[in-house]
Amino acid sequence: MHPSLCTISRVADNQWHAVENDLVVGRGHALRRLDGRTFLSIDTWRDAVFEQLATAMLADQPAPLYTVVDETERELTANWERAGFTTWRREREYVVPTQVRPASPPPGVVITAAAEAPLRELDQAIRAEISSTVGWETMPAEVLPWQGGSVPIDPAAYTIAQRDGRHVGLIRLATHTRQPRIGLIAVRSGERRTGIARALLGHALTELHHSGIETVVAEVNENNPAACALFEGLGARRTGGNLELVHGEA
Amino acid sequence: MPRKAGAIELDGVVVESLRNATFRVELTNGHQVLAHISGKIRRNYIKIIPEDRVLVELSPYDLTRGRIIFRYRN
Repeated sequence: MHPSLCTISRVADNQWHAVENDLVVGRGHALRRLDGRTFLSIDTWRDAVFEQLATAMLADQPAPLYTVVDETERELTANWERAGFTTWRREREYVVPTQVRPASPPPGVVITAAAEAPLRELDQAIRAEISSTVGWETMPAEVLPWQGGSVPIDPAAYTIAQRDGRHVGLIRLATHTRQPRIGLIAVRSGERRTGIARALLGHALTELHHSGIETVVAEVNENNPAACALFEGLGARRTGGNLELVHGEA
Repeated sequence: MPRKAGAIELDGVVVESLRNATFRVELTNGHQVLAHISGKIRRNYIKIIPEDRVLVELSPYDLTRGRIIFRYRN
């Protein structure tokens, strides 16, 4: 074991260095996300340095503070836990095959392309439902309300479910990336458990398959068994997962 | 200005994604190392997949291990 002789310095508003014998032996960073939460990261080869950096970073900033680790990184997770972090959100990563049997939407519902104005209205309605029910606390970063501004919406990335001209569900895909990804799937609260999500997903995956894309990735909150079952029912294979950890009351 | 300890940084290509959030990376000098993702990359949800070109910081304690500190745009 190495004796801990390093000095911790805050070298920028969001950056800390651990210095030993005039050498930087560890670095810490803080990132304030658009949703207002601050995420920390620490890179060092030594646990003792990690502990010192974590202590300094926690003392310098107001709680709550967050970090994210891979679920298999036990040593790193243990280091954050020793610093007082606890698990806040568990996220499963899936690879989803695009060759699926499309599911028919429930009677009266059609799956179609999205137009911006009703899509924005649907997005706001779903956000309001989340606020008044389960809350935002365990939502992924990209779904959280932005600080100071509305979320940009690109209708081309969405497919929507419509009942009697009213938007009731949506799916957002990111296809121009190295790994095509399902960014979001959501259904209005009164329309859930009717097969709309399955129909949206089946439709979107089939279109991707026709354009030559064989798999997409998706991240699902482990505490959402309905979403996990939806993806696993389509043959999605779990490839890993992330833990979001928090220090202080979120 | 303090220097970075063990600041051996080399470019490489990810050849395999392994369990435990590690990757086998072939460096430009032909050596292969096992590398994990830096906290900064993970915090930004940057995904690493095989064939990605990356910058690896080698461990000063074990030159067969490293940390991916940057992913180049291919």
